[in-house]
Amino acid sequence: MKHVLFTAIAAATMATGASAQEISLARFFGACEDAGTDTTVTTGEACIIQSIINAADAELDGITITTLPTDWGNYYDQLKAAYAGGTPPDIHVMHRHRVPEFAGLGALREISGDLEAAGIDPADWSPAALDAVSYEGGIYGVPMDVHANLWHVNMEIMEAAGLVEDGRPILPTSPEELLEHAQMVREATGQDYLAADFAQFPLGVRLVLALIWQQGSNVFDEDGTATIDTEEARNAIAAVTQLFDAGLANPQLNYADSQQAFLNGEAAILVNGTWVVDLYTAEAEQEGTGLNSYYVADFPTIFETGATWADSHIWAIPASLEGEEYQAALRVLAFINDHNIDWARTGHIAIRESVITSDAYASLPHRSEYAGTAELAQDMPSSDRYGAIQDVLNRELQAIWLTGKPVADALADAEIDVQDLLDR
Amino acid sequence: MNRSYYWLVLGLSIPAFLWLVPTIWMVSLSFQPNEVLARSTSTTAFGLIPLPFTADNYAALFAFGQTPWWFLNSLIVALGMTFGVLAVSTTAGYVLARMEFPFKRTITVICLIGLMVPEQAVFIPLYTMFADLGWHNSYRALILPRMAVPIGVFLMLQFFRAIPKDIEEAARLDGVGWLKIFWYVMLPLARPAMMTLAILTFLYAWNDYLWPLVSAQQQEYFTITLGLASIQSNFAQSEGLGRVMASGVIASLPVVILFLIFQRYVVQAMTVGGSKG
Amino acid sequence: MRDRSRSRMSQTQAAAILLAPFLITYTLFLIYPFFRGVWISLHDWNLLAVAFNPDATEFVGFRNYERVMWGRNIEWGLFAAPFWQITGLIGLALSVILRRVDRLSRFNAIALGLASLLLVFLPGFHPGEGGRWYDRRFWPTVGNTLVFVGLAVPGVTISALVLAAAMNRETRAMGALRTLFFLSQVLSVTVVTLIWQIMFSPRQGLIANITETFGGTPINWLTDQQFAMAAIVIATIWWSLGIAMILFLAGLQDISQDIYEAAALDNARGVRAFWYVTLPNLKRTITLVVILQIILHFQVFGQSHLMTQGGPNDTTQVLVRYIYQTGFRDSELGRASAMAVFLFVIMGTFSVIQFIVGREKS
Repeated sequence: MKHVLFTAIAAATMATGASAQEISLARFFGACEDAGTDTTVTTGEACIIQSIINAADAELDGITITTLPTDWGNYYDQLKAAYAGGTPPDIHVMHRHRVPEFAGLGALREISGDLEAAGIDPADWSPAALDAVSYEGGIYGVPMDVHANLWHVNMEIMEAAGLVEDGRPILPTSPEELLEHAQMVREATGQDYLAADFAQFPLGVRLVLALIWQQGSNVFDEDGTATIDTEEARNAIAAVTQLFDAGLANPQLNYADSQQAFLNGEAAILVNGTWVVDLYTAEAEQEGTGLNSYYVADFPTIFETGATWADSHIWAIPASLEGEEYQAALRVLAFINDHNIDWARTGHIAIRESVITSDAYASLPHRSEYAGTAELAQDMPSSDRYGAIQDVLNRELQAIWLTGKPVADALADAEIDVQDLLDR
Repeated sequence: MNRSYYWLVLGLSIPAFLWLVPTIWMVSLSFQPNEVLARSTSTTAFGLIPLPFTADNYAALFAFGQTPWWFLNSLIVALGMTFGVLAVSTTAGYVLARMEFPFKRTITVICLIGLMVPEQAVFIPLYTMFADLGWHNSYRALILPRMAVPIGVFLMLQFFRAIPKDIEEAARLDGVGWLKIFWYVMLPLARPAMMTLAILTFLYAWNDYLWPLVSAQQQEYFTITLGLASIQSNFAQSEGLGRVMASGVIASLPVVILFLIFQRYVVQAMTVGGSKG
Repeated sequence: MRDRSRSRMSQTQAAAILLAPFLITYTLFLIYPFFRGVWISLHDWNLLAVAFNPDATEFVGFRNYERVMWGRNIEWGLFAAPFWQITGLIGLALSVILRRVDRLSRFNAIALGLASLLLVFLPGFHPGEGGRWYDRRFWPTVGNTLVFVGLAVPGVTISALVLAAAMNRETRAMGALRTLFFLSQVLSVTVVTLIWQIMFSPRQGLIANITETFGGTPINWLTDQQFAMAAIVIATIWWSLGIAMILFLAGLQDISQDIYEAAALDNARGVRAFWYVTLPNLKRTITLVVILQIILHFQVFGQSHLMTQGGPNDTTQVLVRYIYQTGFRDSELGRASAMAVFLFVIMGTFSVIQFIVGREKS
């Protein structure tokens, strides 16, 4: 901590003489207007990140930060529009999967040479995190987390269905068991077994992807050949669809509704990311909610090898940023890097080894319950069409689940469309 | 007034009430605590009556919110666009309706052909154009492209054509110049048509979503439409339903009040514009 | 003589001064962008790549159009889409027969004939053996937009007309009622979607709450493919009824009271008067409202973008949203511009029809 402080002072002295640097920062995660500057007490992605930003604004001398408002749905569209219009934000958050697209065009600044001076130690980053910001040998950002799909469990329902052993939920190890468990839950409690957003954002896609990876397959390979119309994909989809067909899960719930169903105690399992662990923990502590006993489990291995969808949030600086503004931007990134433990409070996996091995990290609520997730983390091969490919998969899976399109047709169509995107 | 009239009023008030229900609901939700709404939105009378009651959502909005700022931007953009459209449309409409000059027919036709070009068909080239100029994230980027809409010229042209010529000619005989005639004689006469055009433009500007979405990425230039869109797609992560609804109410209240004050004028103006159009 | 020519000169000058502001903005912000759009549509033009390297465009001719609208092995068959094509054939026959027996004006006969011909012709295209559309989403998106227009326009027009006819009296109560119906028109599109998104929610929504009280199962309006389009149409009608209603009221006030009195002598009151007197006299206003609505709703974006994100399974994906996505999500400005030109052609057609209709009547 001391040397961090020292670097901060050193950096501040270096910047003396200059007037306050205005840093504009773009992020998603949602709005939190009254986050305050105490980074240790906030809850939820939006408020935790905003409190870190507010703290940076208050504590870093000579730097004021304006947070640009952007929503999830339009974030990358607007970011692109800002870059193309020549007015990119000085710092912005992005996903690991977007790095090839932005760095490939020369939009992002390569920062590997300036990290040490700014007080960021890349050697402290976990291999996965370093990988997330690397592109063709360079470093194009500062990682903030690894986030992955988890199974959020309502232990009361599981208990009633006899699916708890030694205080841990019994999770399925095969598609057959998945159906069996779902029926047990239905018989014992009348509730759904599993809920997730199958109708709006690509959370259903991530679930199916994990099941495909668990069979050692993927949706396209590094050479740019789509491999979607496969036995593995059919198995993965069948494993989920059997629940819908048996009426044990509802494919029509969107993100907000599936979450509400879980919090109301209407579903035993919610498949959602690491980003909601602290929110659900807080919800479970409150009186009068449908979720009283909350457990977080690693995504179970339903086929051969364990795998769950994962990605990373990283912070990047545009290539056009120069001089003192660039230095100021780096200082903000260093500040965020220093508060990795606060960000990990959301439920995300920290990226600094020094944080991961700390007691404070280990003692975060439910952390030990999903300690295996870091090992399971996986994602589609990198592509500068990632977003569009994910949309194709989302559309075709929705077609199967919501409009009864035959699986064979949907997979064939998806393969053609993804191949088109890869060939462009 | 006979009995059937009262039945008619009664019969109409039922759909009118239904029409109002979504708005009432929004207002009512904005006065309920977020913790309550997280569990149920129909506590009292399907949530149409705000019990339990709280004004916290509004307090928070004014303490931290960006809504007032977005609102101000919308007002600047909408007013700027309204005055701009009025200025270019009345002049052009008058010239095309009443004056004689070379190539008049050609110019008129060219102007009216523009009616066929929808804004959505040109927003991409406009975007690249403003990007090349480095004009994005400014009021001029939000206002200028919409001043070129020929519908205003069309409306004003129709209107000026209908004004009898003798008023103008009397002034001409007295040796008054064209610009003076336009300013002192024609403009006062055109007030109702200008009101129609102003209202249509203002509503249009207030509601525009696509162009601000691609042009403004910085919060200084967010309009209320854009700001609210950014809040609502974060439903799952936002500060709560009550807050979001309160933003919606704050965003709408001033326009609604404006409308209620000017409504007689609005309807009259539309009537004029409608039967002329 | 001299005096006159001098005043003519100054007239031209004055005209130039007064016309200049409009002509300049018009050329800069409409004419020039339009041609620039056509120009972009002939290029492979990546939004981001061009921003960092202005020369990163490649002239590809009409390939963007082909990639968007055409496919491999596209064939034409008379019975590819039997329902629409047979409807078209019937329409074609009707227009000929009705013209023969003189029940249809020449203009209307040609309009009906042309529309029917398009109906026979366009749906006939389909991919043959081993063929496929290059862009599988484009035509369904156009179809969705047409469905939206086809539901929203009659919805708005009919409800606005009925309400206007019922409220065509200058009394305080009627004035208040009109205000109520017009009120939602002043809300911005994002407030409208904000309200209706939550209205339609199967868990928190007012509609669901009421359904549940009466023992029904709530509908997943926005995520069920049968209801998603209906949902955004309902929100749209609620939102945009006001202006149509006011235009109808204006039209109604132009109908002289004498006609109604004469009709009343023939025992035509209430619904009969509406059918035999009001409707025929409102023809022009109705046409105006319908065409304005078509032009307006063809450009729908916000409702689909914010309420359903085009889903589920693309059933509410509309043209402008597809243009926006292609341009700003996929960075393919060339393709997006090709679609925009297509949009222009369709809208242009309706504008021409409006122009002709306006001309013929006056």
